[in-house]
Amino acid sequence: MTIPDQAQITVDPWATRVGLFRRRQDRVIAGVGGGLADRLGVGDVYVRAAFATLATMWGLGIVIYVVLWRLTLDVEDDRPPRPIDSRQRIGLTLAFIGGLWILTGMGLVLDGFATAVVFTLSFGTAALWDRSESPSLARIILPDGGGGRSVVRLIGGMVLVIGGLGLLFSSVSAVSQLGFTLLAVAVTVAGLVLAFGPWMYRMAQDLGQERRERVRQEERAEVAAHLHDSVLQTLALIQRSEDPRKMASLARSQERELRGWLYGRAPVPGEDLLSTALEGAVAKVEDERHVAIDLVKVGDATLDDRGRALVGAATEALINAAQHSGAARISIFLEVDGETADVWVTDQGKGFDQKTVPPDRRGLADSVFGRMSRHGGSAAVESRPGEGTEVHLAMPGVKAIGIQL
Amino acid sequence: MTRLFLVDDHQLFLAGVKAELEGKAEIVGVASDVDEAITEIRRTRPDVVLIDVHMPGGGGLAVIGALTETNPEIKFLALSVSDAAEDVIAMIRAGARGYVTKTISADDLAEAIDRIKAGDAVFSPRLAGFVLDAFAGGLPVPIDVELDQLTAREREVLRLIARGFAYKQVASRLNLSVKTVETHVSAVLRKLQLSNRHELARWASDRKIV
Repeated sequence: MTIPDQAQITVDPWATRVGLFRRRQDRVIAGVGGGLADRLGVGDVYVRAAFATLATMWGLGIVIYVVLWRLTLDVEDDRPPRPIDSRQRIGLTLAFIGGLWILTGMGLVLDGFATAVVFTLSFGTAALWDRSESPSLARIILPDGGGGRSVVRLIGGMVLVIGGLGLLFSSVSAVSQLGFTLLAVAVTVAGLVLAFGPWMYRMAQDLGQERRERVRQEERAEVAAHLHDSVLQTLALIQRSEDPRKMASLARSQERELRGWLYGRAPVPGEDLLSTALEGAVAKVEDERHVAIDLVKVGDATLDDRGRALVGAATEALINAAQHSGAARISIFLEVDGETADVWVTDQGKGFDQKTVPPDRRGLADSVFGRMSRHGGSAAVESRPGEGTEVHLAMPGVKAIGIQL
Repeated sequence: MTRLFLVDDHQLFLAGVKAELEGKAEIVGVASDVDEAITEIRRTRPDVVLIDVHMPGGGGLAVIGALTETNPEIKFLALSVSDAAEDVIAMIRAGARGYVTKTISADDLAEAIDRIKAGDAVFSPRLAGFVLDAFAGGLPVPIDVELDQLTAREREVLRLIARGFAYKQVASRLNLSVKTVETHVSAVLRKLQLSNRHELARWASDRKIV
């Protein structure tokens, strides 16, 4: 139990001093009964039954409940919340108030008879519904009985419930006109529901719990398997690697893969995307050339021959930049706007004079310009010594997907 | 020197940034969870808060949300390894004035912090891409396409940033002053932040970001 913060405690030193709190979880109305049960070490159902019984005596139970409510504080606990949701809570409370109201209407409240009915019914159901491990009525009767305890609880509960129901129905003159058979059926059905309801409820609950647990375990296994195959393997490789460039490149490729797994779209079979193809090309160049490439993409298109040509040309431009620019980082930007896909490959490296293209840069002209023009696209290179290089590729007639700029 | 506060739940990263920014910014405090961050930032009143997008207890969004009401003078720079465009855009819409990735170099980070302090926006190429996508309707982000349209110039500036150019290079390419580029970027930021706060909160909680 954690004690709530100081400011609240000053309100009610007595209840706190004797260790009485309201339960926040597993409660029916405000958690007063549950808190009292925790303090006394008895099952909460019995405390609730006692409150219900006392309520029939000039409303004493209600008064005590409200007074204790005012005197106590909520307490945090880390037990899993029992699925009594607010609807059930309101239902239970309304049912009790309704029951009292009916008894009042029949002129039964405030005499010993109503108290007897409520007492037998509430303690009977309490015995049947008792799921706690705390000392129960049955444990007091059978101090060390294992299975016997629940049998006693069951029988005792049923006797009390059926007795209570019989008492209630027999007292109502209107019911006696319906005939004895009907009365007996009603008592039996009510008794059976009360006796086996908890058991069926528990079964359903355990089943749901089991299913949730299984799903969670499967998810955990999947994550573990993935991390083992990728991240742990890479970390092992990094530890064995002595080349810092290799290490950085391993880290980057692992980062990319993990990102794809965490944030990426699941691939749709039969639908290749331009952006996915470009990502693959970027990854390949990064791994082979040990260079960092920043890919930014806006919009997307389905991958056709034109798209493949564009990716091929972009790959050549990236390899060129990695080989000749001397820059540690290359930027690549893909934008699909309407029917045109544009790619810019930019580096902030040493650049070159476009009038005197060195022979080793022939690759750029052949593979980039050639690929683009064969498919109706265009390419332009802009570079100045000392100011980096930018290659702009434009491919018209692509099939854009999604809403466009 | 800029009075800087660091919020990140990774101790290793906090230590790294602290060492890197030595002499470039005055680090007035660090925090590694949402509640601690809110209390300590209120107490130390830094110029700029460098804040992680993903943290237990609501993430950077919760910190910015709590502080923009009470301390509007404090400026936020979001920093993340996250690639989820929606998360990053949500931080910007909540009030962060920029976004950089954790792989940023120390010098670039120091420059970004100073820029944020001066009241400018810091757009990394990736953020520029996210924003262009968001305004094109390519992201599940609630942007009112009627009200919050980018101008042709703003889009041009964002495209150049996405291509990897620094503000200065963007300015010279468009024959503008750096100040004008900054004005355009700030205008984009404002358009992102303009939309209804309630709508954003609902959207964020739907996506379990907060």
